[in-house]
Amino acid sequence: MTSSRIRIAADSVCDLPVDLADRLKVHIIPTYVNIGRESIPDDGESLDRERFYRELPAMQTAPTTAAPSPGDAEAFYRAILAEGVDHIVSIHVPEKLSGTLNAMRLGAEAVGSDRVTLVDSLQLTFGIGIQVWGAAELAAQSADLATLLDAIERMRQRTRVYAIIDTMEYLRRSGRVNSLAASIGGLLKIKPIVSVNEGEVVPVSRQRAWSRAVERLRALTLEQKPLERLAILHIANRSGAEKFLESIHDSAPSDTLIIETTPTLGAHIGPGSIGVATLKADWRR
Amino acid sequence: MPNSCINGRTLKRRIQAGVDSLAQQVETINQLNVFPVPDGDTGINMYHTLQRAWQEIAELDSEDVSLIADRFAHGALMGARGNSGTILSQLLRGFADGLAQASMLSPAQLRSACQAAVQQAYMSVAEPSEGTILTVAREATASLQRCAGSGVSLKEMLKTLTSAAEVSLDNTPNLLPILKEAGVVDAGGMGLVAFLRGLHCGQTKTPYSRADHSLSAPKAGAAGRYGYDVQFLMLGQRLDMARARRDLEELGWSVIVVGDEQTIKVHIHVDNPAIPLDYAIRMGAVLDDIVVENMDLQSQRTVVGRSTAQASAGHDSFDIAVIAVADGDGMQAVFRDLNCAAVIQGGAGHNPATEDFISAIKQLNSRQIIILPNDRNIFMAAQQAADLIAGKKVTVLRTDTVLQGVSAMLAFGDATDADADLETTLAKMNGASSATSSIEITRASRDSKFRAMNIKQGDHIALLDGMIAAAAADIEAVIVAAFAELDLTEYELATVYFGADVTGLECERLVRRLTMTIKGLEFESVYGGQSLYPYLISVE
Repeated sequence: MTSSRIRIAADSVCDLPVDLADRLKVHIIPTYVNIGRESIPDDGESLDRERFYRELPAMQTAPTTAAPSPGDAEAFYRAILAEGVDHIVSIHVPEKLSGTLNAMRLGAEAVGSDRVTLVDSLQLTFGIGIQVWGAAELAAQSADLATLLDAIERMRQRTRVYAIIDTMEYLRRSGRVNSLAASIGGLLKIKPIVSVNEGEVVPVSRQRAWSRAVERLRALTLEQKPLERLAILHIANRSGAEKFLESIHDSAPSDTLIIETTPTLGAHIGPGSIGVATLKADWRR
Repeated sequence: MPNSCINGRTLKRRIQAGVDSLAQQVETINQLNVFPVPDGDTGINMYHTLQRAWQEIAELDSEDVSLIADRFAHGALMGARGNSGTILSQLLRGFADGLAQASMLSPAQLRSACQAAVQQAYMSVAEPSEGTILTVAREATASLQRCAGSGVSLKEMLKTLTSAAEVSLDNTPNLLPILKEAGVVDAGGMGLVAFLRGLHCGQTKTPYSRADHSLSAPKAGAAGRYGYDVQFLMLGQRLDMARARRDLEELGWSVIVVGDEQTIKVHIHVDNPAIPLDYAIRMGAVLDDIVVENMDLQSQRTVVGRSTAQASAGHDSFDIAVIAVADGDGMQAVFRDLNCAAVIQGGAGHNPATEDFISAIKQLNSRQIIILPNDRNIFMAAQQAADLIAGKKVTVLRTDTVLQGVSAMLAFGDATDADADLETTLAKMNGASSATSSIEITRASRDSKFRAMNIKQGDHIALLDGMIAAAAADIEAVIVAAFAELDLTEYELATVYFGADVTGLECERLVRRLTMTIKGLEFESVYGGQSLYPYLISVE
């Protein structure tokens, strides 16, 4: 049996649902959300997402987020290798936005750089998840490393993430994307649509009314047809996500997911937002 | 016939009398607003245009009528404000061109110069509408035909011209229903009449002329090719534009030659770009803002450029800047906040001049510029500036209100990576501006009747997309009535920009009451600081 000698790893920003990650044998390392003096791992258990988003608007001090430590990364990789795995392909949140990849690199060096291949997904939330999912399926079919990396690269080029930001308040407060905030403007209440491009969050559209923004999001989603994979993303807005899915129902693949985005991102974006992650079917060429 | 011609000095004296005559009528003309809103500014716009024109000749002492007329026209072109001011500047430009090199003005030349003036003015307007200053100029000029060859003196001709203009002015309400409804004559036409009256009264003698004003007929390039697009400015003292146009038309196709004796803008398509440049130098002009583009390669590159952009994607790669006109520090801040590269102070009652746009355009590095005039009456002056700029592609997007301008500005940059070219950007901005409804609240500047409404001076008036929707003493009633005209199921958000004379607290109070009265809409209040309009409300 040579199967599954390569395993796929990722951080929790990829938003792959826990059951799906288990089924695909994907290993997820949690990032951290700091609330007050507490640092809570975003492992799907320690942090109640629903409660977090409910309490977020009223939090005295804005929560911050943190990458795993190099020590966490080392332990994470050692545990995977201990399962008899030859190699790990480790797909992560963009280096431009997070210290995660750096920590993972240090962890990889500690276990032997030749055992781990690091990939900058250049995406966020399920835009990472799409690449992880596809890679895990190929790994399960015993694809070799070159085939895997080539597939990830092609999926990366065909992956899009768009999101309507309900209020700019959280992005501004987080201070992580000042140039984004400046390009959107701050005097009027704006519901911008943002995208992730080459590992950076960029504005795509500035709408004032929610319904117009949803209309635009729908058009952007349908531009990516035919879709092999689709996830509707939301932050404390499941009904908005469901309604949106209904509006593009005919173009949505049967395994379309509705995902509440990780608090690691959600803390910077705020409740109310909805978005999509898409994979265009032509990535297989 | 010593009394039948006038020289430059006399013409200058008459022009001065014309400017003075208009100056005395400014308030009267301002009042001739179709709607009784306090943005009546035709009088002041025409006066500013002529005032700036006068500056060009105030210190000039010359016998030469064509020099006087040319300098005066140049000043008017630069100082043009408002649609009537811009049309007036085109009339003067055409008049001066019609005189060509004449040193004295004879009756025959007056006639042909007036014809050239009318022709030029009509050409400058995309869709000329009758019952306006254009009609007055045209009908007045037509009256001169009756004196053709009859040995009439120049003084008598000016009298004929002026009386015919007066008759034509009185007839404008019959041609333009909106004037009749408002019970006024056309304001721009009245400004022209006032100027002519002055010209006529301040009068005396002499000279001769040559009319030359044909638009270049585009010639086709060699089959299947585009050739080179060459644009440049010719600068000089006494450039012969008519000759330049005639000669350049022989050298290439799609020829556009506009300007005056000191500045000529040339736009020409040729197979060899050296030829028109060489010609212009030989004509004695100094060249500036030279741009040569290979259109064959460009058309190929468009295809290639698209696919590369798709692969690499760069949002900062598109070099388009926006210039907006806005009144009020709050309103101006909103435009800057939305990444407007330059904001020109102006609006109802104080329209910016063509040269204000020109200097704003020159200060920007961008090669592609979009202007948001944000007022019906500012559009033409902006367009005139765009026409006079070489080396940059300047497009005026027709935004009729500052609120439409904000919507257009929001859509600026609303493009995914692959399609952020000028055309797409303009289409998106245009779409956004027309999807917004504008409610403008102001006060009646006089008693009037409109449709079934009896409007008293001082009443509040609501304009919905430029038309009077309601008028009453109570401001809130007027606003609510304007909202009632809209199908509110189509809208979601109303943004209330409060003016300089309203406090934030007053606006908040108003918004709170509106939120209760008008269901299903979200309200937001923003400081605009504009004058004359206590509230500007965009609904989207």
